[in-house]
Amino acid sequence: MKRSLLYSLCIAVLFASCKKDDDYIFDRSPDERINEVLAEYQSTLVNAPHGWRGMIAPSGAQGGVFSFYFKFNNENRVEMFSDFDSLSSVTPMESSYRLKALQQPSLIFDTYSYVHVLADPDARQNGGAWGVGLGSDFEFAIEGIVGDTMKLIGRFNRSRAYLVKATQQEAQDYYDKKYGARTFDNFSKYLNYFKRIVTPEREYQVRVNQAAHSIHIEWVDGNDNLRKDTIGYTYTADGIAFVPAFYDGVRTITGLTEMTWDEASKKLSFKVNGAASHIVGTGTPIKPDPDAARRWWQTMVTNDEYWLSWEGFHKDGIDDYFGITQLHEYGFLMFWPKYGTSGGITYDLMAPVKFDGAQLYLEYGHAFRQPNFTDDGRAIFTWLGTLGAVTPADSAAVHGTRLQLMEAQGYYLVQTGPMVYDMVNAKDGLAWVTWEPFP
Amino acid sequence: MINNLNKSFDKHQAKVIPMYRKSKRGEWFFTGQHTGGWYSIIAGMKKLKYYMLRGFRKSLLLLGFAAVLAGCKKEDDLGDVNDIPGLGGDTWVKGPIDYWIYDSLTKPYNISVKYKWDQFELELNKNLVPPKEEKIIPVMDAVKKVWLNTYVAEAGELFIKKYCPKFFVLVGSPSFNTDGTITLGTAEGGRKVVLYVLNEFRIKSMPDYQPADSFNVKQMFHTIQHEFGHILHQNVMYTEDFKRISVGMYTANWNNVYDENARRDGFVTAYAMSAPDEDFVEMISMMLVEGKDGFDRIVNSIPPGTSANGITQAEAQSRLRQKEAIVVAYFKDVWNIDFYSLQSRARAAVEELIK
Repeated sequence: MKRSLLYSLCIAVLFASCKKDDDYIFDRSPDERINEVLAEYQSTLVNAPHGWRGMIAPSGAQGGVFSFYFKFNNENRVEMFSDFDSLSSVTPMESSYRLKALQQPSLIFDTYSYVHVLADPDARQNGGAWGVGLGSDFEFAIEGIVGDTMKLIGRFNRSRAYLVKATQQEAQDYYDKKYGARTFDNFSKYLNYFKRIVTPEREYQVRVNQAAHSIHIEWVDGNDNLRKDTIGYTYTADGIAFVPAFYDGVRTITGLTEMTWDEASKKLSFKVNGAASHIVGTGTPIKPDPDAARRWWQTMVTNDEYWLSWEGFHKDGIDDYFGITQLHEYGFLMFWPKYGTSGGITYDLMAPVKFDGAQLYLEYGHAFRQPNFTDDGRAIFTWLGTLGAVTPADSAAVHGTRLQLMEAQGYYLVQTGPMVYDMVNAKDGLAWVTWEPFP
Repeated sequence: MINNLNKSFDKHQAKVIPMYRKSKRGEWFFTGQHTGGWYSIIAGMKKLKYYMLRGFRKSLLLLGFAAVLAGCKKEDDLGDVNDIPGLGGDTWVKGPIDYWIYDSLTKPYNISVKYKWDQFELELNKNLVPPKEEKIIPVMDAVKKVWLNTYVAEAGELFIKKYCPKFFVLVGSPSFNTDGTITLGTAEGGRKVVLYVLNEFRIKSMPDYQPADSFNVKQMFHTIQHEFGHILHQNVMYTEDFKRISVGMYTANWNNVYDENARRDGFVTAYAMSAPDEDFVEMISMMLVEGKDGFDRIVNSIPPGTSANGITQAEAQSRLRQKEAIVVAYFKDVWNIDFYSLQSRARAAVEELIK
């Protein structure tokens, strides 16, 4: 029985092997088809009469987008511009590219170019992270061509990218260096913590990551709710374009146009949907978080620990304005709520913590009364006295820091992470300090 | 706790140069498995044949054969087999760089240089970028002058043609490791050498050269001389005496040791502490890159007193000198190369680039 089963199985197998129908599912062999597709992409890339505009959204840039111009030729060479910086916007760079059949037909930029600057793991090149850069790509799988658009996806970091056939005018603008103005770069000259785009209809609080080309926007909608969005931006000849277009629930804004910078008044002006608008710096958040200050203070009371700041106060555009990191054996600046009691008053302590090579120690400190928490979310600090004696060498930095904390308008607290707060002077937003827990 | 305070990336960690090579044992293992695979298929076929012949009636048998024959008739159209994409390697329209590499390295020494991006030559989990085009010829020209030409002058063309690594892969950025170190170069099996950080390669003939750039230049030759040292001792082993000089002091913990402290223990670099083979090739590469004066300076820089491991100044210096003597003797006896002559040529070529 067993044997006959085996025989019949053998015969079945033998006859099965007779099936000679080896037609391809598609009309031709995979090799022929991949060659055809590669040739087609090659000719599409090369034959675009005015080259291509490109967009790359590096996966590590949190919504940031960079725009490019490419002109491919038939000898594996590509010439490009990029809006990465003012030099790359006006200086054409030639490098090498290849179309290759990997798992998918792929477009590879195979020697260093503006495309690689975004992916360079050397963070100095792009302001990204060490070992990662902006998490961008230069090996792209081609997802297909729709109309004039070629869709790409990065093979390593999965960055999104696409190419669109450029018009003659667009190509000409690049070679005429029209993208060199970059008026929006003046944004970094606003030294206030909060910046707002002021349009006739509404104000938008913006935080710009100029290295990653992204804008975080916060606004208050018709129901008094705080809304947030992060979008990318690219430079245009007369301003910036939002990618994707920004939608606040009522209006769509595609970019800021006709941008000008007034050096005397330090003011960036432009048109939003045709209406004159500008950017202002301020010390007031667009919708203050009324509980933030108390939450910040209470967190460390509950934990019986302290907040620390590595670099002390930033003020008027200068990191560590008071030079506190220059103190002898400086470790970090500490704020310890409910540190101790004196004459029946429970006080908070702000002091530089020092490190002698073996352990952390406190030499002196400034005591403050429990902050006065206002209804609009500010904390106002009142000085109580000094513990120990401030050494003469430390005096300037330490007293400067103390006086700054005592600023009469007090501070807004902005929670930027689960355990990270920026404490911003409500007077004008020109001074702030970042508090975080001991690592 | 002080580490907690140190937030910024420490550039000095760039001194670490981890390297690896494929073990020969690994290749043997693969061959063995391969043969085993074939054996089992053949054995299985024999068994099947035996079953078939034993109980089959002739008619069935014939029918079976007919079926087999019919089954064999194949008219698979494989398409145009002369045009399989990527077969035979990548192709592109050749440019000046390709011609330079062919004329200077491929034709005389059978060395190929891959400067265009190919992820599969590199670590697949790292963010890396290809080199800038303007760096490729200067780097390979420097490699030729410092390494190839000096060996050719001392040992002859045949020697270098026989033993040199045949395949260079160039990368623009460093390779960042998770332990905070960066890799500057690797070599595999005496054949392939990967050089990183080309985009930072600047020699004095370039406009933006700064004296600090000589560090990168020297590191690159350090890598190449190091790897070529491995190739030499893998062909003919150095004498056992070498391993006895620092016996018991080799450690896997080398990457936590500063070069200065390694020298107080009689090692030329911290990486030399990792194994006797590494010690041997680190000696070769440091002596060739730093030159005789530079090496003497290293030996004389060992401060008086006793190291943490109980090695005195005199002992540490003596160990370095013993190692030096064995390296020199090895080059003379095995390869008939005057090491000091090679050293002065190699150092002169390095100085040509950086001073």
